[in-house]
Amino acid sequence: MRDKKFKLTLCDGTSCIHNQSKALQQALQAELQRHNLTEAVSVHLSGCLGMCSKGPILIVNPGYILYGRVRVEDIPEIVESHLVHNKAVTRLIITEDHLYNRFFRIFGDVDFFGKQMRIALRNCGIIDPENIDDYLSLRGYEALAKALETMTPQQVIAEVKQSGLRGRGGAGFPSGLKWEFTANQDGDEKYVICNADEGDPGAFMDRSAIEGDPHTVLEGMLIAGYAIGASKGIIYIRAEYPLAIKRLEKAIVAAREHGLLGEKILGSDFSFDIEIRLGAGAFVCGEETALIHSIEGHRGMPRPRPPYPSVVGLFGKPTLINNVETWASIPVIILDGANWFGTVGTETSKGTKVFAVAGRVHNTGLVEVPMGTTLREIIYDICGGIPGGRAFKAVQTGGPSGGCLPEAYLDTEIDYESLAKAGSIMGSGGMIVIDEDSCMVSLARFFLEFTQDESCGKCTPCREGTKRMYEILTRISEGNGQDGDIEKLERLGKMIQRSSLCGLGQSAPNPVLSTLKNFRDEYEEHIQSKTCRAGQCAALLSYTVNEKCVGCGACRRVCPVDAVEGTRKEMHRILQDKCIRCGQCYDACKFDAITKA
Amino acid sequence: MLTPLQAIKKKRAEAVNRIVSKGYLSTKRVYVGMATCEIAAGSKEVMEVFRQAIAKGLTDIYLSQKGCAGRCNLEPTVEVVEEGNIPVKYGRVTPQRAREIVERHLKKGEVITEWVI
Repeated sequence: MRDKKFKLTLCDGTSCIHNQSKALQQALQAELQRHNLTEAVSVHLSGCLGMCSKGPILIVNPGYILYGRVRVEDIPEIVESHLVHNKAVTRLIITEDHLYNRFFRIFGDVDFFGKQMRIALRNCGIIDPENIDDYLSLRGYEALAKALETMTPQQVIAEVKQSGLRGRGGAGFPSGLKWEFTANQDGDEKYVICNADEGDPGAFMDRSAIEGDPHTVLEGMLIAGYAIGASKGIIYIRAEYPLAIKRLEKAIVAAREHGLLGEKILGSDFSFDIEIRLGAGAFVCGEETALIHSIEGHRGMPRPRPPYPSVVGLFGKPTLINNVETWASIPVIILDGANWFGTVGTETSKGTKVFAVAGRVHNTGLVEVPMGTTLREIIYDICGGIPGGRAFKAVQTGGPSGGCLPEAYLDTEIDYESLAKAGSIMGSGGMIVIDEDSCMVSLARFFLEFTQDESCGKCTPCREGTKRMYEILTRISEGNGQDGDIEKLERLGKMIQRSSLCGLGQSAPNPVLSTLKNFRDEYEEHIQSKTCRAGQCAALLSYTVNEKCVGCGACRRVCPVDAVEGTRKEMHRILQDKCIRCGQCYDACKFDAITKA
Repeated sequence: MLTPLQAIKKKRAEAVNRIVSKGYLSTKRVYVGMATCEIAAGSKEVMEVFRQAIAKGLTDIYLSQKGCAGRCNLEPTVEVVEEGNIPVKYGRVTPQRAREIVERHLKKGEVITEWVI
């Protein structure tokens, strides 16, 4: 079987390095050379695989065969037996059937995926989301059955608490505590809500999670219903996600047919049903109290907390609200255990987080990594760095509520605390990579345009303040910035942060304040010297024709305002007083004959 | 009366049987990405190519849709899974590429390496 190709992955997480994974690497290379296998076998390194107690881990593909507690002395046997004779070394195989392993049986050998760890998205991309049989066949709803049969509601809550899971919607409140607060409320009726009102520009984690594996969300909600004593669940999802809605509806119907929703689930005394409520796409409805108002049929506006929804929630009843990704993690915690879950992540933030990475990177997409992974690992190792040899400038995490982090923060290990300390937030997981071609003033203005538009209007600081900030940013980017504008932005921003009621208002100035902190010189350039170094602020640019011009006339033909003049085969000229700086001539020129400055 | 765990294990066994009866144990399993993002990139047409090929007599194939694995800029994606081999993951699959995958990979067993992710 010498011609067979194998792909080996060695866990290279901190704990495995401690357990000698480096020595294993060397031993492996030596053995492969001895057997003349270096061509047929490739060796890869992965981040923490979350099985630290069994480390170091070696994975052999095809087959996703996991070897655990591999010692240097075991390497000759693995190479000889598995790679030469195609017989797995059974004594070293880890047989524990973790839920999250399966994804890697298909995708484990691709670097982009191999360096990730999939808990919430464990089934996305490997099952048919519209067929409940696919989910059932992968131990689907077994966590629910386990909870119903072997755990009391208190034990379920204790397990979630012990896991250290924190809300994936952004704020990072410990999920177990939220569950406990809601469970401790007296009341004949309680509600479980799934917040699927994903609205950050560029974020699509929740949509993908639901479209790829809707049943895991239902299972998470069912387990919570049992734990807190609720019999009704509601999924609040925006109407602009039609496919996700269709798949949820289909999943709910299938689950009812199988007795997994409805009366006396799986023969127990527990009854629970789930319905879907559609949102109209207002960003503020992702805020939990506004979301509740929207479900109740009122205008989506936040109200002061306390009382928190766990005390006074939907229709005045105790209500447990979690985000899609949080729900999707619950079955894994129940089946694989809080102890295991607790081994993944950092001291204060456990488990994994999904990021939607967009912007200037080679590999855009969904990335689920253990907490504690650095921004550099995500941007360069997983997403392949920045295309076109351009320089990294900043990364925006947390969408319109987050901040922009410059290069100095690339080695920050991501968790709720570290991002907050760096001046940004985890948020729901949007991650936009920015290179030197992007203007930070424009970026801040873009997010402000979004938040001032989405402000519900209840609090004056947010309603009026974001509008004024947006106006100041607009005039700066149009070349009309004045001395004192930066100070005005800072004063307004801090005031809005302090005096807004909900998270939307409190965080709306973040993109401006963080870019002011980290890229103040760019603002100053815009205001004082009226230049935009990224060449993005149209009003600050001027276009001129240089000597490379051959007089082809392409620029003259595309100019919408007839600002280019010149005769054929002679150098053309741009009339500056007519030019509207749209840049079409620049794009149309094939001879680099137009200078943008 | 079954306990919840017994009941779910029974359901799982039944589910596995149903999946097998739909041809899961075929030599090759083909998964086509069908999330919003994949569909926007053109995966419905790609799915149709595989459906047509099966309708026209291509046998021993289990065809399934799947959600988005997260590899956005290479969509639509298609996986061809064969027991014992590393699953082949194709990116940027157009209907034209899908037809070639049918002819070369599914019929003749040739992995078209230049389209592999």
